[in-house]
Amino acid sequence: MENAKAKIMVIDDDPDFRDAITPILQSALYQVVTASNPKEGKEKILEEKPDLILLDIMMDSLFDGFSLCHAIKTSKDFEVVKDTPVIFVSAVKEITGSRFQFKGEEQGMSGPDDYIDKPVKPEDLISRVERLLKK
Amino acid sequence: MEETTYSVLVIDDEESMRDACCLILAKEGFDTDSAANGKAGLEKIHASPPDFVLIDLKMPGIGGLEVLEKVKEIDPNIIPIVITGYATVESAVEAMKRGAYDFLPKPFTPEELRLIIRRGVERKELVQEAETLRREKKLIEENFITMVSHQLRSPIVAIAQYFEVILGGMAGEISPQQKDMMTKARARLEGLLNLINDWLSIARMNGGQLVDRLKPMLLETLLANQIDLLQPLTEASNIKLVLAPTTGKTTVMGDEETLEQVFSNLITNAIKYNRPDGKVEISIKEDAEHIIVDITDTGVGIAQEHIPFLFDQFYQIDRSKRSRGDKGSGLGLTIAKKIIDSHGGAIEVTSKPGVGTTFSIIFPKPPSDLPNPPTTPVFRS
Repeated sequence: MENAKAKIMVIDDDPDFRDAITPILQSALYQVVTASNPKEGKEKILEEKPDLILLDIMMDSLFDGFSLCHAIKTSKDFEVVKDTPVIFVSAVKEITGSRFQFKGEEQGMSGPDDYIDKPVKPEDLISRVERLLKK
Repeated sequence: MEETTYSVLVIDDEESMRDACCLILAKEGFDTDSAANGKAGLEKIHASPPDFVLIDLKMPGIGGLEVLEKVKEIDPNIIPIVITGYATVESAVEAMKRGAYDFLPKPFTPEELRLIIRRGVERKELVQEAETLRREKKLIEENFITMVSHQLRSPIVAIAQYFEVILGGMAGEISPQQKDMMTKARARLEGLLNLINDWLSIARMNGGQLVDRLKPMLLETLLANQIDLLQPLTEASNIKLVLAPTTGKTTVMGDEETLEQVFSNLITNAIKYNRPDGKVEISIKEDAEHIIVDITDTGVGIAQEHIPFLFDQFYQIDRSKRSRGDKGSGLGLTIAKKIIDSHGGAIEVTSKPGVGTTFSIIFPKPPSDLPNPPTTPVFRS
């Protein structure tokens, strides 16, 4: 399997969510690294150079998922990882209404490559991850 | 506090009066300007509305009272103060009735003018402060809804996520009985999440956060997308879900996200409460002033006595008949109605028990000079 060793980074402030999502990804033989906030995520991304990032949006900090995603895609600091696919994983329904739509593009923000609602369905998550890794 | 510079326009036909007022007020730190008659004054107000305007009541041409009324029409935030040359109580009362903030009887001393304008500034600042507070309160209320719902959802989402892992067999073997119970428990959690989402939608709409987002959109695209998305639900009972032939270019003024919610909800109901091998037909018709989408099913129908209450929150026709695993919150129709209301439309229901039910969603016809909406479907998951 070509993706067998792909490394996935989960950035989420909810420890239970990190604990629950890890075995899902491991069941598909992915290597998992986690970070509990965007700041830690920022450091670990450069250190670990993951193949894909699962990113929560609403975290207890001003520097949220939107900002981190934008930084990954555009900032000089992230030049080496700028092509890493990012999937928003969030219970963001409450921010934008019935279904999530990334609105930041209107304000010049770079959006994610995909998004998925919490709680994630294992099959759905794996298939989206696989699709992005194949690109 | 930061010092704001306020502007004042003096409208008086007496040159000496204009100059004196401007001189006194400029010393007080105001940006001053003047006009020799009502017409010139109104033009200046139109071009750039000042914070205050001093109006002489007795002027040739357009009189002071008339200017006063026009000022109120141009910008109700301008604070008008009238100067009454013939200092009768009647003229002052009349001016106050017509919206003057205060009056200044001639002759007056510089100190009197300063006092009155300072009072006006206090008034202006109070109004501005009230406006700022009102905006902040609204912002807090909106964020409050978002924060509460995030706090409510987070633990449920975490629990549901563990269920997914266990049910997916990623945490070891589980017995068939355990699996069955956990599947039921998961369905209840999903129901709870739906309830929170729906409650949130209602809270949002009560806050009026919808109507300014309406833009022209093609109904056919929206309906075709919903039919595609909901097609899988029809399989269990072999329901035929179709869109009747249309012109292909029916445009309404709408908010895409919430309209999707409405149609998804109504079409899902029409499938769910249908008979096996039944049909759901969606058709579009229009009259002189409206565009109407009919969603007609061939289900058991709704008894007449229930119809007036269908859109009430948590109204259920027969709670005991609610099917197991039904994840509906009981708020779907309430939300649909609120959404359509905020589009300036209405939902009507006609039903014949044993034959079927039609939900008609009625939109006001948009103005005919609208630009064409995009025909390509938007980014979706």
